[in-house]
Amino acid sequence: MASCSRLPLHPFLCSVSVRLACNRNVQVEASTAKSLYPPILPSRTAKSKSAKRRVVTEHFEQLRSCTAQEKIRALTRVQRKKYVIYPQTFALNADRWYQHYTKTAFLNGLPEKYDPAPAVDESVLSEARDVVCSSILQQHWHAMKGRTFTQKEQEQLVSPFLRNAVCGLKNLLAKENPVLSLSSLDFDPQVSYYWLRAERTIPEGHRRGRVEPMRFQIEDKPHSQIRIPHQLPQFVPLEAEISAEVPIITLAPDLLPLFRRQYDNNIFIGAKLEDPCCYGHTQFHVVPERFRRDKMSKRGLSDQVELSLRASAIASLFAWTGAQAMYQGFWSEEDVSRPFVSQAVITDGQFFSFFCYQLNTLALSPRADCNNSRKNVCWGTESIQLYERITDGDIVGLNDTVLRLLLQFLLNNAQC
Amino acid sequence: MAKRIIYPLYQLGNPQLRIFRPTFNLTLVRPGKEQPPDTVQFRIPMEMTKFDVRNYLEKIYSVPVAAVRTRIQYCTNKKRNHLNQRVKRPDYKVAYVQLTQQQTFQFPDIFPEKDKKHEEGSVEEMQEKFMEDERQRQKPDPRRGGVTEWFGL
Repeated sequence: MASCSRLPLHPFLCSVSVRLACNRNVQVEASTAKSLYPPILPSRTAKSKSAKRRVVTEHFEQLRSCTAQEKIRALTRVQRKKYVIYPQTFALNADRWYQHYTKTAFLNGLPEKYDPAPAVDESVLSEARDVVCSSILQQHWHAMKGRTFTQKEQEQLVSPFLRNAVCGLKNLLAKENPVLSLSSLDFDPQVSYYWLRAERTIPEGHRRGRVEPMRFQIEDKPHSQIRIPHQLPQFVPLEAEISAEVPIITLAPDLLPLFRRQYDNNIFIGAKLEDPCCYGHTQFHVVPERFRRDKMSKRGLSDQVELSLRASAIASLFAWTGAQAMYQGFWSEEDVSRPFVSQAVITDGQFFSFFCYQLNTLALSPRADCNNSRKNVCWGTESIQLYERITDGDIVGLNDTVLRLLLQFLLNNAQC
Repeated sequence: MAKRIIYPLYQLGNPQLRIFRPTFNLTLVRPGKEQPPDTVQFRIPMEMTKFDVRNYLEKIYSVPVAAVRTRIQYCTNKKRNHLNQRVKRPDYKVAYVQLTQQQTFQFPDIFPEKDKKHEEGSVEEMQEKFMEDERQRQKPDPRRGGVTEWFGL
């Protein structure tokens, strides 16, 4: 039988009647009694793994009560060598690698919202067609006026066309979609995101043999983007089962090839934290010179065209949605409570591809990923031709599907 | 294309330079570190470039090449011989070639493990049996359960 010293003394101290002094269920009392000693914790200053774990846990606990600005500053303050991911990359089969680093599952086609395509008003469609056609013909006229340097063709011809088209369509659809009238359209914004993913063992140096997480940074400059003050509705619920799998790559990132640099860790959506338009709507990208279809086919990489578009979309949209989530105060230990949704359109002037992205989880660091079953989802189409060719003053074979999809993307409303 | 040769200088209008019997030789090597399945590793002469590797593989061996990346491995000049002179281990260039259309390549196992089985009645078999008996005699008594001979009588 346990000795009397284990019995709690307070019932005897505060008892009113003599009968209460004799408690039969003394074991229950012992378990629920307030312990006289504080909980045993590992040291904070010792050179041990438990001490390090305690320091890290306490630091994260303290971070939970900070504002978003302070959280971002604390997580990006320390500079170390990191892998820089460029959305438009010459690496082959980069989309599988990028899917692994961003924990994204890729689904072909668009989500149920756009598939089958809901009807668009005919008058709106015809007006949109006029806007797009005039932009294309203007670009064609400038191209006919005089050819520029080969390396500058996309910049001189496709960028102005896209700029005019996006401006015109946004102003046209402002009365259909009220959120567009409150939105902010940026040209050449800077989007960047910094995160920790898998672990690696340091091979050489004074820290050799120790395990450290791998750091990644995406720097992206889309052609233009639309930011809105309210968030877009989700495509699938947060914890929904997704049929596609996230590919797992066990090789080091250097084999992709990905290169490491050390500089400022940036997290930026295109505007600072205090901006009211802090949620993303649509991004527009122009395919750079090097990755144009004809140049890729000359190098024998025609099958890589679609894959590179996919990789670019996954990287850009993950960076944008991740930065939006960080602006709202979510980070790896505090995972997102609602999904962040964004869309992107990638074009090289003639071919258009549409991508939708839903960010379900930010917990990608090794500490947070061990019991995280959520994954991010990216939907994407193949590239569709907008027009077949342009003759003098006329466009042959204008594809209405592309126009409809473009309009639906821009009509995506926050309220509905 | 060729080692130790000065190529004719190209001027506008010249025909494409063609070499019909290059003096280069490529060596396919097993990668030291794990490589992606579509990557093949070669040791190439220092004078070759990425474009030379691509043309060599495509024209002579008709292997479609998607991308080539090269690096130069510097080998040590620190070792000294018996006369205390520094001995240089020669440098070499490594090329990582990525194949098109999701083709994969696995470096074959050139030295597979063989179970040595000598034929009956031969000298080697008797020797092997004798060695096996010797080894068995050297082992401690299994009935002692790992305890050494130091303990006991």
